[in-house]
Amino acid sequence: MDPQLTEVSQMFERFKAAFIRKDFDSCANLLSQLKVLLTKFRSLPPLFENTPNAVNELLLAREIYEHAVVLSVKIEDQDAFERDFFQLKPYYTDAGSRLPPSQQEYLILGLNLLRLLVQNRIAEFHTELELLSDTALENPCIKHAVELEQSFMEGAYNRVLSARQNAPHETYVYFMDLLAKTVRDEIAGCSEKAYDYLSINDARQMLLFSSDQELLEYIKEEHPDWEVKNGSVYFQKAKDSAPCKEIPSLQLINQTLSYARELERIV
Amino acid sequence: MTQDVEMKEQPAPSNSVPSSSPSTLHHLKEIASLIETGAYDREARRILRAIRLTMALRRKLKASVLSSFLSFALTPGSEAFTRLSSYLPKEDENEMEVDTATSAAQPPAKHSLPELEIYCYLLVLIFLIDQKKYDEAKACSSASISRLKNLNRRTLDVLAARLYFYYSLCYELTGTLSEIRSNLLALHRIATLRHDELGQETLLNLLLRNYLHYNLYDQAEKLRSKAPRFEAHSNQQFCRYLFYLGKIRTIQLEYTDAKECLLQAARKAPVAALGFRVQCNKWAIIVRLLLGEIPERTVFMQKGMEKALRPYFELTNAVRIGDLELFRSVAEKFSTTFSSDRTHNLIVRLRHNVIRTGLRNISISYSRIALADVAKKLRLDSVADAESIVAKAIRDGAIDATLDHSNGCMLSKETGDIYSTTEPQTAFNSRIAFCLNMHNEAVRALRFPPNSHKEKESAEKRRERQQQEQELAKHIAEEDDDEF
Repeated sequence: MDPQLTEVSQMFERFKAAFIRKDFDSCANLLSQLKVLLTKFRSLPPLFENTPNAVNELLLAREIYEHAVVLSVKIEDQDAFERDFFQLKPYYTDAGSRLPPSQQEYLILGLNLLRLLVQNRIAEFHTELELLSDTALENPCIKHAVELEQSFMEGAYNRVLSARQNAPHETYVYFMDLLAKTVRDEIAGCSEKAYDYLSINDARQMLLFSSDQELLEYIKEEHPDWEVKNGSVYFQKAKDSAPCKEIPSLQLINQTLSYARELERIV
Repeated sequence: MTQDVEMKEQPAPSNSVPSSSPSTLHHLKEIASLIETGAYDREARRILRAIRLTMALRRKLKASVLSSFLSFALTPGSEAFTRLSSYLPKEDENEMEVDTATSAAQPPAKHSLPELEIYCYLLVLIFLIDQKKYDEAKACSSASISRLKNLNRRTLDVLAARLYFYYSLCYELTGTLSEIRSNLLALHRIATLRHDELGQETLLNLLLRNYLHYNLYDQAEKLRSKAPRFEAHSNQQFCRYLFYLGKIRTIQLEYTDAKECLLQAARKAPVAALGFRVQCNKWAIIVRLLLGEIPERTVFMQKGMEKALRPYFELTNAVRIGDLELFRSVAEKFSTTFSSDRTHNLIVRLRHNVIRTGLRNISISYSRIALADVAKKLRLDSVADAESIVAKAIRDGAIDATLDHSNGCMLSKETGDIYSTTEPQTAFNSRIAFCLNMHNEAVRALRFPPNSHKEKESAEKRRERQQQEQELAKHIAEEDDDEF
């Protein structure tokens, strides 16, 4: 066996051991060393040279990056997640035909979809979705994310929140918690427009706070224009936008002048 | 569409077999001289015309005609000649002899123009594709592309653009499109360096097509946004570009832009390019539905499209009524069509619009309705769901209403008098702007060919030209059909 490959796989074993111990500091440490070592393999993307050990090297590298992605979720680092995921992606797309399919693939793709949803990058979410085959869409991990997006777009926020209980994998919980925060902001925004007022009790339930105190703090920080009186929250203030009765003269002048100019050109 | 073309074409070979071969050859020779003059005068327009004439001859091409044309146009024994001849199947021994005999009389020295050589490649390639000999076509196209890379002449651009197109087509037909991606990128780079705008345009489209074939929307958009843009040279290429752009925009949820691109592509496409227009319409319908518009019935009744658009018609109907149950059953009924059109994911997105439309209908009909009834009418699972869905619809401006949480009901607001706002004025302004813009574009699009005053065509010639143009349109239609 190639000495370099042996070195990397030994180090990866240590990484996995640390990973199981939940010693994430040394994991991160080992990971950065591993990544440096991986750059020496010429069979990996972007070179994809067909060396004799190519398949073994690709498999090892794929597993390392898969662990890296999961690790980034555990240490709650979204940027690292994005980086690691993009490094991992070519192994699924470009090298997919040469390697046996990975057990982790759908789990990780689903995680990525969820991340995009949490970060409210819906366009990218759909771009990723287009890349998935029909069988992938049937997978529970992917399905979970897709259904979440649908409920989210419809506005069925209850369904989004209840989905937390049946998350397909423990790593999903982190993103689901983040999603709950996004959902709260969405609900606040919707309520502001949809209701004239809400009793404090209802508002607390709707915005998923456990105590009135938390609710009042939230209002203070995020929505100072809401008014709290007589045991209710009034949104009316934010909605006061009387129809403008003034004639938009400057705009009209500009428009008329541009018509004149264009007509001049035609005649 | 293709059927009646074939019906017209079929009698032609059967009754004119003996005479067609020399006349086709004769036509080809004329085209060759056209290319020659074009190359000497540096007039790309003539070469463009030559290609158009070739397309008219496309169906009459035969191996024997081609091989005799090759020996006419190329120096026998030259590298290109031997290579191209090897792709052609051998048949009709005696005819071959006759042809070589006649061509031997021609002085071979003057026919060494690179334009002519590339034209021969193009001709053989088209022939091979028409004969469904895709493997030979692949070999031939690759050879022609590597030859093209070494030639740098502006008069070649038109021919090269065509070659690129067929190069990609034969790889697509054999399902190996991903193989040529890096090659296309290299060609695009070369075309950019040589200021070959037609080539850039064609290659950009081919690359976009290549990416979209594998659903790589991300890469396609990155390439598109960074590639240099300029005034379109060819209407067909521009249509394709708009279509691909529309698709990308749809996936990225920029529906307003997408709609504009797709509708424009459908309008600009030649009438005969039915397959292309059907595709554009399918996508445009979905995008309009996603925007919350309901396409008019006439869209679905366009000539030759009724059948293809049928699933989309039923879908539109479900969205228009706002019936989730009907929507689900339509989506299931036509699921194979939708997944072969690769619009399945978009249709999943539509569910949300069905709810919106249903909600809007309720909001218009009732001034006050309990949320429990809303949930029942929209067939939602729970009242809580209904409440948050209504709240979101209000925030997004889909309906004008308020919610009363304590009584659990939705109160619709009276619609205000629209004429008291500036709304009509802005609508009027945007229409005027559209008309003025249209006028300006029409003026800009007028083209005056440099030699138009010299060539005064007789009535007969004009008729002939018009006929050729019609045939050309048909061929474009078929090309587009091939693509889908």
